[in-house]
Parts: sequence; C-alpha cells; structure tokens
Amino acid sequence: MRASLFITCYNDTLFPETGRAVVTLLERLGVELEFHPRQTCCGQMHANTGFRGEAFSLAKRLIRMYGDAEAVVIPSSSCVAMMRDQYRGLVEELGDERLRRELDALLPRVYELSEFLIDRLGVEDVGAYFPHRVTYHASCHGLRALNLGDRPLRLLAKVRGLELAPLKNLDRCCGFGGTFAVKNGEVSSAMLTAKLADVLATGSEYCTALDNSCLMHLGGAMHRQFAGMKTIHMAEILASTTPMEALG
Amino acid sequence: MSAAGEQLGGRAILDPALAPPFPVAALAVLRDPQLRKNVAHAIDVIQGKRARLVAEKPDWQALRAAASWIKDEALRNLGLYLEEFEARCTAAGGVVHWAADAAEARRIILDLLREEKASEVIKIKTMTSAEIQLNPFLEAAGIGVYETDLAEIILQLGEGEPSHIVVPALHVNRSQVREIFARRMGIRDLPDDPQALTAAARQYLRGKFLRVPTAISGANFLIAETGSVAVVESEGNGRMCLTLPRTLITLAGIEKVLPRFQDLEVMLQVLARSATGERMNPYTSLWSGVTAGDGPERFHVVLLDNGRTGILARERERQTLRCIRCAACMNACPVYRQTGGHAYGSVYPGPIGAILTPQLEQLRHSQSLPYASSLCGACFEVCPVKINIPEVLIDLRAQVTDRQRRRAGRFFDPLYLGLRAANLIFARAWLFHGAQWMGRMGLRLFTRKDGWIHALPGVGGKWTETRDLRGLPQQTFHEWWAARKTGTEGTREQGNKRAEAK
Amino acid sequence: MSASFSREVVLDRIRRATPGAAASGAALAEAYGAQPQNYIRCGAMSAGERVELMMQRLREYDAEVVECAAEELARTIATQLAASGRWRFVAPPGLPSEWLAAGFDWRIDEGLTAAEIEGAEGVVTAAFCGVADSGTIVLHHSASEGRRVLTLLPDWHLCILRASQVVETLPEYFSRCAAREQGSGVRDQESGNEGTREQGNEKMGTEGRWTREERTKRLPSLVTWISGPSATADIEMTRIKGVHGPRFLHVILVKD
Repeated sequence: MRASLFITCYNDTLFPETGRAVVTLLERLGVELEFHPRQTCCGQMHANTGFRGEAFSLAKRLIRMYGDAEAVVIPSSSCVAMMRDQYRGLVEELGDERLRRELDALLPRVYELSEFLIDRLGVEDVGAYFPHRVTYHASCHGLRALNLGDRPLRLLAKVRGLELAPLKNLDRCCGFGGTFAVKNGEVSSAMLTAKLADVLATGSEYCTALDNSCLMHLGGAMHRQFAGMKTIHMAEILASTTPMEALG
Repeated sequence: MSAAGEQLGGRAILDPALAPPFPVAALAVLRDPQLRKNVAHAIDVIQGKRARLVAEKPDWQALRAAASWIKDEALRNLGLYLEEFEARCTAAGGVVHWAADAAEARRIILDLLREEKASEVIKIKTMTSAEIQLNPFLEAAGIGVYETDLAEIILQLGEGEPSHIVVPALHVNRSQVREIFARRMGIRDLPDDPQALTAAARQYLRGKFLRVPTAISGANFLIAETGSVAVVESEGNGRMCLTLPRTLITLAGIEKVLPRFQDLEVMLQVLARSATGERMNPYTSLWSGVTAGDGPERFHVVLLDNGRTGILARERERQTLRCIRCAACMNACPVYRQTGGHAYGSVYPGPIGAILTPQLEQLRHSQSLPYASSLCGACFEVCPVKINIPEVLIDLRAQVTDRQRRRAGRFFDPLYLGLRAANLIFARAWLFHGAQWMGRMGLRLFTRKDGWIHALPGVGGKWTETRDLRGLPQQTFHEWWAARKTGTEGTREQGNKRAEAK
Repeated sequence: MSASFSREVVLDRIRRATPGAAASGAALAEAYGAQPQNYIRCGAMSAGERVELMMQRLREYDAEVVECAAEELARTIATQLAASGRWRFVAPPGLPSEWLAAGFDWRIDEGLTAAEIEGAEGVVTAAFCGVADSGTIVLHHSASEGRRVLTLLPDWHLCILRASQVVETLPEYFSRCAAREQGSGVRDQESGNEGTREQGNEKMGTEGRWTREERTKRLPSLVTWISGPSATADIEMTRIKGVHGPRFLHVILVKD
C-alpha cells in the first residue's frame, strides 16, 4: 500500500513531531509513504477569511500535485474538510471543467488519518502503548464536516495502557476558528475558557485531538495557566510503542 | 451593556446602520457576568429539551429534508405562490399590500391605522416589525403600541432590546423583571417568582385585549393554496390579538409563503421541536381572510421585500430565506452562548442573524457579522431547514473582502496584508520554506527560555492576550524528511533517532 | 410609490431573481410530485394504543383527561362540570343539547359579546381531531366547536373528543382534512392498521393528490391547534401554565 502524505503548512512549520509520528505509525503498518517536497497549504485560511481567489490558486496547486497519488493522508481534519466542502465550489465558480474532473477523481482518495486507518487499512489496533489518562477533544471539522463518528475513540480504545476520560460538552467548539481567534480575540478567549474548564475537569494528563489547530489553542491556554495538562496529536499517541517513546 | 436592574440593554443598538462592529459590541457583554449567566442558563434549558425531543423522532432527518425541500420549492416559484396567496386571500375578504422596503411598510401600516382612527394598537411578537422599526415610528405618530408577548412586555416596559428571536428577554432574570413590573405597573409587594410575574402581565393586558380594536401580527407561514396565515405561539396573546379586534394587520416577509396547506404537516413538526423543545407549541392559529361572525371584520396583509429579493437572486445565499425563525442555531452557537444577542447589532442575532442582517443591509452595514463565527457548524447541524450557515458566512466574507480590495485602507490592515502575502508565499515552495526560516529567526526574539512565546506585537498580540504560543521548532517536517532521505545512507530508524535527538 | 406600483416592483424583482421558476400553476403541481415524503406520515399503532398515547400526552401538558363510554357521555360531562366548582358556562350553538347538563347556567353563543364570554367561568365544545403524537386537539370552529373567541376567553375549557377522531401522526390529520367531505364533519377513516407503515404512507400520498382547485375547496379556513393549556417560559425558562388562554384544559375521551 502506497500513500502520499499531505502534512499541511501548519504541521510542517509548527508541529513537525505530528508528521514524524504519522510516518512512524504508517510505516509500522506497512504503508509506503511518499512526500511531495513542494507542498504548502490547502488554502483553508484564505477561503475562510474571504480570499476566494487566493484560495483557488492554492487549491489548484494541490489538486494537480496529488493527481497521481494512490491515497492522500492528511493528519488534520479541517484541511480535509476544506478539500471536501469548499474545493468544488471554488472550482465550479471559476468554471474550470478540467480541474473539476481532476478534483472528482482525487477526492475519494483523500483521507483524514483516522479514516485512513479504519476505512482504508481496516485496522483499529495499531499496536500502540501509551500508559496515560487521556481525554479526546472532537474538533468541529472532524465531528461535523467529516462525520468521523466514533473512529477516533475506537482507535484510542485499542491503545494499551491508555485510560480514556470522557469529555463533557464534546460537541462544543474550543473557539479557535482560524483568523476568528484574532479577529474576535475576546469572544474566542471566552469560548476557550469554557472549553478548557471541561477539559481540565477530566483530570487527564493529556488532551488529544486530530487537529493541531484546536490543540494549539487549548495548549496555549494550558501553558499560560500552568494547568499541568498537555496537548498531544493523536498520531503521536498511536505511534508510540514503548514507555520511552511516549515520554519522548 | 446592561447593569442588572437598570434599563435592560437600553444602550444596546439594534440598528445595523448605527451598531458598533461585533468584536467591540461583544466586549461589553463579555464584561457582564450576570447577563452571560442568564443567557447560558436559558439556552442550556432549551437545548436540553430540544435534544430530547429530536432524539425521540426516528424520522427527524427525513423531516428536515422535506422541510428544506418545501421551502426551496416555495422560493423557486416565489412569484407564482405569492400571487396565488394574494388571489385567495383577497377572495376570502382580506386586503393584500406590497411593500418594497421598510419605509413603505411602515407607511402602509400607519395609513391603515389612521383610516381606522386608531389611537392604540396591540401587537403579537413579530421580528419583522422589529426589523422595520415599526414601534418607534408608530409612537412618534401618536399611536400607543402595546406588546402582548410576555417577553416583549418585559422589554417594552424595561426599555430593553430583544436578544433572541424566540425568547427575546432571555438575558433578563426574574429579579430584573420584578423590578420593571413593580415600577411600570405600579404594583407594590410584587414577589419575584415567575408565576406571580406572569399573573401580573395577564392582569395588565386583559383590559387592553378587550378594549383595543386594532392589532398587528406577524406570520409564521402564509399558505398559497388557501390564502391563509398561520401564527405559532404559546401564551394565547396571539389568539387574543387575532380574534378580538375589529381590524387585524399582518406584516409578513415575502419568504413566509408555503405552497400548500399540507406543508404544515412538516413545518409544524420541525418548528416547535427546534424552537422551544416541545412536541407542539400550545397554540397555532390559522385563518383565511375574514370569517363572518368570527374574528376581525377587516384584515390586511403587508408583504414585505426589504432586501429579500436581493438574497433570492444569489444562488448560494438563497437558502438564507428558508429560515423559519426557530432560533435553534443561536441556541446551539458557542459564540452566541458567550455574547448573547445584543452584540449582533440587529434584531436578528446569532448565526442566522450573522448571515441575514448583512444581506438585508446589502453589506452596507454589519460587515463584521460574517466573521462573528468560528465556523464550527453547530448551527447547520441543528437547522430544521438545513441552511448551511457556514457556507453562506464564508461566501459573505468573500464579498466583504472583495469590497475591501477596492479600498485604500486595506494597506493598513495587517490581516489583509498578511493573507495576501501568505498567498504569494504558499504559491512557491522555496518562498514558503524561506518564510518558515525567517519566521523561526524572527520569533526567536520573542521566545522565552521555556520554549514558549508569551507576548507578541501587532495582530499576534490578540493571540497572546490570553494564550501562549509554542516557539517554532528548529526543524520543519520537510527538513526532517529531506535529511532522513539524503542523510541516509542509513536506515529509517536511524533517521528517526536523529530527528528525535534534535 | 403607489400600491400597485410596489406590487409590480416586488414581483418583477422576484421574477428576475428566479429565472428557473415554473411558467404556470400546472407546472407547479408537477414539481410537487417530486417532493421527498419519506418521513413518517402514517401511524403504526392500534386504536387502543393511539388513544392511550393521546391521553398520556395530554396529561404531560397538565390537562385533565377522563375516559368514558358513549352512553355515559352526558353523565360524565355533568360530573366534570360539577367537580369544576363552576357554574356559568358558555357553549357553541351546535353542541348536542343532551351535553348541556342541568343545574348550570348555560349561555349558548348565538352572537355573545366578548364581555359576555369573558364573564363565563368555562366552556364546553367538541373538536375536529386529536393528534396523539403531540397531544394536539384540533378545532375547525364548526358549530359544535364554536367561534375562536369562545374557547379563548373562559378560563376553563372542557373538550369532548371521540376515540375515532384521534389519529396518531400530524400528517394523518392533514390527510383527513383533504379527504373530508364537504360539510359532513369527520369521515371515519381507519388509517394505518392494515399493512405496513410504508404501504400506509404510500396510500396516504395518493389520497392527498387532488387538483389544487379541489383541495382548496375542501380545506378548512379556520384552524386552531391546541397542545395543552396556554403557557410561557419567558422568565428564566420556567414553564408557567396559563397566561392568556384558558388556564385549565379538561378532555373527555369518548370510546366509540
């Protein structure tokens, strides 16, 4: 099985450890990974802030880049949602018929990480070991745009040593929302405060998710408040196999 | 915004032309813990009830699909259905008026009241009349206006503004209501339990219902095939206004029309569950024109455009007009939960307000509203007519940006410049990688020994006001990947170890 | 702007905004053939279960419900009136005379003023239909159901509902409306007890397909759907029973 990794601009720059974990995890499961060094951004930030033309140019670049990939794995639900929900509208608006056909051919091969593991590889037990109390934050895009359902929880349930702490108000947004976090900084912070209270109430050591954007938001507040809880992308939990690695 | 017990939201400005931008207006609410507590309590109660009743409906998704289909069909053929409504309503003894904008609707209603020589009018809660700012207009013309919905009485007597479209006074708590009623109704020793307060309102209105011969209502639905109007309510004040007066004037947006009577079998099922978390609201009234011996002798309908045809014309935005004003979106919205309704600067708050208001204003005002959302999608998930609010928000943001592109001020907006620059950078990998390197160098200045950034200048400062930011790692993923491949005459495992060591 | 001018302005804006609109009413009817109706239209309960559910829902609304056999109806009404502790009642002109129990002050509504109705302590009426799923009583304001104001001003409403008038789902009520023969009240129609719900759904779908003209003539021009006594939750979401409509709703369910 071959797959091409779209790491996303955000993970590449800010959270390379997530990308490394995806590589460790998928190679352990026998996937042959490739990585286009020219990849940058899916255009989500531009589209969601109203820069449609700019988003289109980035979308076009991405569609072309992955035209011949057997499968594209993306460890970020919001970027997958961007491609599934917004690319078609962008392409249709500009009336690019050829690009639309390329997009239609590409989309069925695009997977969020937990989708790839469960739907494409058919594994729930990835052989991970992570002896910690963990709570799972369902990012809005994973929950509503991708309908990931219980996939993430099924994967976590099979991690040895992991104690899963259920999170209250699981479906409520953490207040990140991309540029919303700065354009409406105060409201975003108020939402974050409410979310963080629920997260901290779980008494977990880690809060995990399939989106580093939410985790950066939550983690930034945890650090500011000396909360004693850390954030970790789920790929890193699924990649860890020994106590040493888990602490790494 | 509103200090407890004083004028309730008296300083809230719900005129989109005058209201401050959303982030500014929101700030005032965020500093009012009592108001936020009142809002959170109310929407938690409705949300909980709604969730239970939706869960008991095995065909909920089928009902949503049907409801959205019906509204789409009505909008696709809106002209034909409105003409059919007009013909049937006229045949049944009603008089249909058309108003192109708010000013015309106000004038038509005032003229009708003058014809009736009315000095007073009783009203059923109608958001559309708030949209056209009817009450202050009629009062300026010397007509006494009495709201009859309990929440509207609280706001009218307390000189407050609505903050929700179904429960407009949800930001007011019982002790505040007690204070207003005691002061304005002149009741001493009024206890603050809701039962007693409700009884006081009943007492206050009873005489007005029996005396005032003219009433104004909104409409939840207009039925084309029968020329009927339907009004959905709970308290019975609607039935009073619809049956006791001699003359009834109904103000309705043109998007309220449904093709068939039978369409109500879907709409009534989704509306009450979504709005108040009930299987059915206590009272729904339907009437057709004038019925001899039963109800008003004269009946007028004012059909209001006021920007709706502009929304109808845009393919992606048209779905906005499916809205049946149930408020499920604001109850589900995590932003509304924090800010309440007044921050939206419009009588239509919450997610639906964030898309409806800017469109009714043709984006001349309310340009900050499409950004008043984290795009979490909770509104779309609960919407009984499946309005994809995030999709419309994003489209409106694009329209706002397109306007911004033509303004010189854009060169002073760091977000605008940042996004334009980011686009150029993302278009070429070498530029992206260069920018990553520069970012790493630049942010080093702000990164503390613990590896975290605690304060940033400019736009970034909006982030670091409440959140830290982890400093940029020394190696990007693609650098790691390249090193691992070239490095690397060795094995993958060695590559991994090298990366870990760094 | 003159009135007819604005009419043309608005309709013209609409026409320009909806280039895909049908050209005529006939095309509209066709469009409706494509409506997705895979929600539950036809109930699946037995008559007994249906009535049970109706009573349960009414009680959830704090309505008082009693059951009785057809031949006991007049006596049951008298008992209910006596138990209410009220004396002055109004009734619609079409109410069967045997329902007007002796020993009370009855005013028959043959043009009573609002003040006269307001002066009554209670009202007794029949109904058009009951919808069990939501506990809704539907009034079409016929001669036995009374004018709208009659069931609005008195504080106490006793409503007589026959078991045969109870349907399970709201869509079943709407197909009863369409199937109603002009002027004959409720046509007895046992729907949903034979065959599957799917078959029932299909049957209901075809029954409802009158021409628009035929349908319009059959449909009621006044309807009030009542689901429990009037209520509000406007103050801190605390449900308060009884604002302006009757504060007390009593229902007698007649097994027929």
